[in-house]
Amino acid sequence: MVAGAQQTVTVGRQVRVAWPVIVVMVVASLLGFTCSAFAESLDEEIDRLKADVADLSQALYQLEEDVLYPVDTQVAVFLTLRNREGLNLDSVELYLNETPVASHLYTDQERDSLKQGGVQRLYIGNLPHGAHQLKAVLTARSAKERFVRREATHQFRKRPGESRIQMTLDAAAPDYEPVVSFQEWK
Amino acid sequence: MVVRAKLRKVFTVFALSLATAFAPGLASAGSDLASLRSGLAEFALDTHDPAAALRYTRNATTEAERLVRAKALLVTGSHQEAERLLKELLEGQYYRGQAALLLAELPTGPGDNKTREYLETAAKRASGSDRQKALYRLAEIEREAEHTDRAGKVLASMEPGYWAAMGYMNIAADYGRQDRNPSRALVALRVALAMSEEDVDSQRSQELRSRLLVRAGYLAYDHGDHEKAIGFLEKIPLESYSTSHGLYLHGLALSASGNQRAAMQSWHRAKKYPLAYPGVANAWLGTGRGYDLAGYLGQAGEAYLAANASFESERVTLRKLADQIRQKGAYQALVLDARNSEAQWFLADNRTLTQPRTAYLIRFIEQPTAQADVNRVAELREIRQTLNQREDSLAVFRGAISERLGPVDHDVDGGPYQENIEALVQRLANLKARTLSPAQQEALKGAARTLADLKASVARLDGRLKKKDRQLNELMTRTDHALERIRTVRRTADALLSRAESELDERALAYVEAQDHRMAFALDRTEQQIAHLYEYLALENLERGQP
Repeated sequence: MVAGAQQTVTVGRQVRVAWPVIVVMVVASLLGFTCSAFAESLDEEIDRLKADVADLSQALYQLEEDVLYPVDTQVAVFLTLRNREGLNLDSVELYLNETPVASHLYTDQERDSLKQGGVQRLYIGNLPHGAHQLKAVLTARSAKERFVRREATHQFRKRPGESRIQMTLDAAAPDYEPVVSFQEWK
Repeated sequence: MVVRAKLRKVFTVFALSLATAFAPGLASAGSDLASLRSGLAEFALDTHDPAAALRYTRNATTEAERLVRAKALLVTGSHQEAERLLKELLEGQYYRGQAALLLAELPTGPGDNKTREYLETAAKRASGSDRQKALYRLAEIEREAEHTDRAGKVLASMEPGYWAAMGYMNIAADYGRQDRNPSRALVALRVALAMSEEDVDSQRSQELRSRLLVRAGYLAYDHGDHEKAIGFLEKIPLESYSTSHGLYLHGLALSASGNQRAAMQSWHRAKKYPLAYPGVANAWLGTGRGYDLAGYLGQAGEAYLAANASFESERVTLRKLADQIRQKGAYQALVLDARNSEAQWFLADNRTLTQPRTAYLIRFIEQPTAQADVNRVAELREIRQTLNQREDSLAVFRGAISERLGPVDHDVDGGPYQENIEALVQRLANLKARTLSPAQQEALKGAARTLADLKASVARLDGRLKKKDRQLNELMTRTDHALERIRTVRRTADALLSRAESELDERALAYVEAQDHRMAFALDRTEQQIAHLYEYLALENLERGQP
């Protein structure tokens, strides 16, 4: 009996001790759940915002082009690399009719992207119909660790509609001499 | 009727022959334009402009374009659409591995076995780093399910490099916890060290190697193999992030093998690093203990007092940091201010590791939750800045459009232009009649084309002027609509930024508080050591004073 009574008391004590612990644990777990749910919902809302911003940015790009670069006078110049190992591009400067219109210093990330097949839009602007001259000045380090500066010019005729000029940089083995070629797209 | 039918036939044949002549060229131009768009999208994505990447891949037709689009959608938070595209690519020809790996990175529900399936597909179909990453993640799944042997088998099938090294490092941590004997863990760490040497990213490889050496050194020291521990720890480069920890353990190993002087040299070097880094606070304490063990009790007391002062001063720094977090917010106090205080490039060596604020930022950012918090705030701030810039540009566009709206000031009549063009055409015809070199002929042809273009343009002038206001009004409406959208999105961004910042502040304050507790604990220990030392000295004096 005594033992039984002692046991009952012990159980009663255990329960009395356990209840606050359980309550604390439940509250803590609820708090934890609320915190993680809060963070999750915040992330979801940020994702929705990012999607809205991306959508808005696309609309704005289009609007910007429509306002600033009407199709009939629009000229865009792109840069691609043909030989992906032959050159480490440092900078490119673009001149239209001897007027500097764009210059770019390359980061490692941009260089890597070009080497992976990325195409950079170097310039977009307006030109009147007729004959024009595009000049590109580039500095690079060739595969033979030689620093090179090259100029290339291209004569073209602006006609109605969008004009796209693709500038391709090549440096083929064995001498890795940089060569710039131009291609026009309509 | 017969003549008309003949004419129609001639035209049909002409049209067909034209189509046949130009069709291959057109197809090739189309595919080249698609590749140009795909390249533009890829460059935009690589240079953190996912919106431009999405724009270039609006009408994605090729698998390459769809992959870039899916990646851009993932970056911009459109997970569902990205998932749909990736599942299409999973059924495609060229990017099954990459698509599977990206699908495996999407969040899944509890008990969902899809991640493993995607990783297995990626391990089969992908190549290079993607395949290694997939295998590493498969090994991690096995390891987390406590199937260490299976994880080991997956790792054995990997190529040497960063991912394999990471896998072996994690397995070594498991062995270190499970085994009483460190040999299995040390073997795994040695394999990880060998694997890390093959990492193509040399900076990452060095950093991982330092961490592996610290772990190996600690394991060896913990099991009493001091010589081996010293061997591992001496290989840690001095400019590494793990150097302070390595120096502290190196001192411990030297001290345990009885070389107190060398141990104190290591601890002196560790003390040059901020107290935020692991091992530095213990190195301050170790110096006092080293003098004590070497029998220089006076210097031991001085070393403990110096440690005490250093910990007190660090607590003041931490309190100031906490105040700054409360006043300016954690992002400004920890991230931006640490960035602003960065040394110039010619000083940007290991001394940048000695800035206390940078040290606390780096330690804070080690926690994945803190990374997520900081990332949220950074993203939202960038979004807000972009929106502000866009709003400014649109305000300028709006002004330009409104200036162009309304009646044209001067009388625009295409007539005189047409007359000029006709006169030029006549002069051109006269020139053509003369004997010309091929270059001159070519120049005249070009001039004739430009004149024809100008003539067509002038002919359309009246029609374009009539449509001018309608088109400008349409642009104005689009601009106003865009401005309204920018303001709405910015309001949402502001609200989310405020929530994200308060969450970051809370976590940063908790972190600073924990650091303060750590310093308080270190302070208690130095005070105890000082008390013991004084007690011992007092007893010594008493003993000496007795007859």
